[in-house]
Amino acid sequence: MSRDEEGIALAAVGLGKRYRRRRGPVLRNCSFRLPAGRICALVGPNGAGKSTLLSLAAGLIRPTEGTLTVLGTTPAEARTRFAYVAQSKPLPPQLTVAATLRLGAELNRARWDRAAAERIAYGPLAPGGDRDGALDPTSKIRSLSGGQRTRVALALAFGKRPELMLLDEPMADLDPLARRELLGALLGEAAEHGTTIVISSHVIAELEGACDHLLLMGGGRIRLGGDPEQLLAAHTLLTGPARDLTGHTVVESRDAGRQLTALIRPGGPLPDDWQTAAPSLEELLLAHLRNPDAPDLFTEETVETDENEENARA
Amino acid sequence: MVEYRIDRRSGVATYVQIVHQTKQALRLGVLEPGDKLPTAREVVEATAINPNTVLKAYRELEREGLVEARRGLGTFVRRSLGAAPADHTALRSKLTAWLDEARGEGLEREDITALFNSVLDEKCPAEKGHEGER
Amino acid sequence: MTTLPTSPLTSPREDHSLSLRGSRGLVWSVLRLHRAALWIWLLLLAAVSATMLWAYGPGFDAAAADLRQQCRDSVVACHFPSGPWYGKYDTAVALSTLVVAYLPFLVAVWAGAALIGRELETGTAHLAWTQSVSPARWLAAKLAVPALLITAGTAVLIPLHRLMWNGGEELLWADWYDQDAFHANGTVALAYALCGLAVGALAGLLLGRALPALGVAFAAMLAITYLGNDYRPSMWRTVTVTGAKALNLPDDSLRLDQGVITTEGTRIGNNLACTDALDGAADLRRCMARGGLSDIWATYHPRSHFWPLQLAETGIVLAVAALAVIAAFVLLNRRVATASAAASVPPDRRTAAVGAAV
Repeated sequence: MSRDEEGIALAAVGLGKRYRRRRGPVLRNCSFRLPAGRICALVGPNGAGKSTLLSLAAGLIRPTEGTLTVLGTTPAEARTRFAYVAQSKPLPPQLTVAATLRLGAELNRARWDRAAAERIAYGPLAPGGDRDGALDPTSKIRSLSGGQRTRVALALAFGKRPELMLLDEPMADLDPLARRELLGALLGEAAEHGTTIVISSHVIAELEGACDHLLLMGGGRIRLGGDPEQLLAAHTLLTGPARDLTGHTVVESRDAGRQLTALIRPGGPLPDDWQTAAPSLEELLLAHLRNPDAPDLFTEETVETDENEENARA
Repeated sequence: MVEYRIDRRSGVATYVQIVHQTKQALRLGVLEPGDKLPTAREVVEATAINPNTVLKAYRELEREGLVEARRGLGTFVRRSLGAAPADHTALRSKLTAWLDEARGEGLEREDITALFNSVLDEKCPAEKGHEGER
Repeated sequence: MTTLPTSPLTSPREDHSLSLRGSRGLVWSVLRLHRAALWIWLLLLAAVSATMLWAYGPGFDAAAADLRQQCRDSVVACHFPSGPWYGKYDTAVALSTLVVAYLPFLVAVWAGAALIGRELETGTAHLAWTQSVSPARWLAAKLAVPALLITAGTAVLIPLHRLMWNGGEELLWADWYDQDAFHANGTVALAYALCGLAVGALAGLLLGRALPALGVAFAAMLAITYLGNDYRPSMWRTVTVTGAKALNLPDDSLRLDQGVITTEGTRIGNNLACTDALDGAADLRRCMARGGLSDIWATYHPRSHFWPLQLAETGIVLAVAALAVIAAFVLLNRRVATASAAASVPPDRRTAAVGAAV
């Protein structure tokens, strides 16, 4: 295994997925790489293919074309080293919380961290005793609220002590307090063990500041990939007199008579009569989603090239 | 032990906020040489920011010679900022006395702050600009 | 239980973990997840076993006493057994025969279709597959654990049923080749149960939903059972006799066909000519001469063919079960990522159009 391969948590080359019953492909020609140790926000509108990408990474479905390398190997080979939490948080309804954790222990005999799982499910032992949201080990899964089930599902993921966590919309059912707590726990895990974390969401705001890697999906492919700061630095929001934008990559431009507002990737120096500003992450993402024809952008470490691939195979 | 408070809407980079708050703690004597900074895990669990941001801030503090990382043990304060704690106590009691006097003269909190800031700006102008606000 | 439907198709790399010892956690999980089903199965086993033991002992004695009393009262009534205990005994035997013949099979279809279909429907199968358990091992455990339990249960029920049935034969006027009794008295019941499990699992995987899978698996198994009943006599070599012997088959044989051979040598089946010529060989010869026949014949299975027929049918049904198991594993492996999935990508797919680098 080359060094190059060791440092990559996820790498896709020409990845595509088409479901038999649907007309168009859900994913097509996706190529990207996610370095290990990152906190990656996988964002995009509903139906962009986020869940499909995560299912492919988790080895639950097969790609119709291309390859997806997980932790330097196939998803099936990496099975014991990643954790996956599906959007619907499926759990056997007839089990109690304690039995569900036992299930996790039994199905991950080689690497089960009981303390880590219980810390997520039952909460840290606060001196005040009972805390909101902490689960009763004897309650049945079917009696739990959506947020509580999310907690159990995440407890299973933490108990596996994975190198990579694939979390499909983990925040959706949680209240703001629990969101914050979960994010803190995830990041703490990453800080201590160098865990790579991929969190899909259609709300970027909740991950801003927490993520150091971004994958924006739209129309079945990765539109933007890389460090959010670098991505932001590559874009400029400008306002000024309408003028030819040749030489710059225009993501979005709105022309109100003589006044022009545009989000561009500058290809050279900008004239002085244009007011420039740095876009916010949300502005950047929305501009790309509104303009499906804007060219995709990847920071260098994110590009999955044939050369990288050759190295990985060497 | 310091606790960091991150203000996401301030526009100040998160790691800069951590650096400033650490320095503030060093100045106030909340942190003294030999004290341990919270681990990256503790910080991110409390603040939900990226671990690399914390590490970047700690690297910055280390570069400035304020803290040192000891492998496997954590990050420790090497030296404090500002005056020695003993002098500090003396200064503090003088300031307390002055404040009592100001209150005695009927000054409200805002009046005192305004007065203090105007003298502060006169005697020690802001270093680089970013120090003033936060 | 020679052909337990465990996975025949897992790759060598997974073989070491397929032994039950390596899959302890998985076995625990199957038992724990379906604890209610396990209890119901054990309760049913206990209830049916108790019924059969009663029918073998006190039930038979009471019914026989009823019959003796009846025969003392009237010779005619002796041929139409009835009476309070006889009625209870008869019902108990009939019910246990039905249950032993078809319950393991129903339980198995349910275990295969509903349990696997439901896990796919609710996504808990995916939960298992993303723990440290490969889908193939998961399916192997989902098949092996119920297969073992069903085999163990059936291994108790069938001998008990044989005990009860053989003991009560004279009272019951039952024949060894009656469909239900044939099922309940031999290995065929177990074979259909294991086949039901495999077909149920296949339907569950195929449809991914519990109720439709249950319906489809049940329909498929009804068809298989029907075919089995239909073709049972041809699963073992029959005995054909000619002449007077054809008119005097042993009492307990399964008579299949009877016919004549004309003087021209044509063989005509399903023809009962001269069967009433029972007075003697001369009588028969006269009848044949009158009809232009050279001989008469009959085809049948003697009672001694019970075990050969049982084993032949068991083998065929288990073969169907094995096919269903193989199909289930192939289907599963096609759907999910397997260890060798990445290697199969054509190289031209790897050229990727990526955006400009920053």
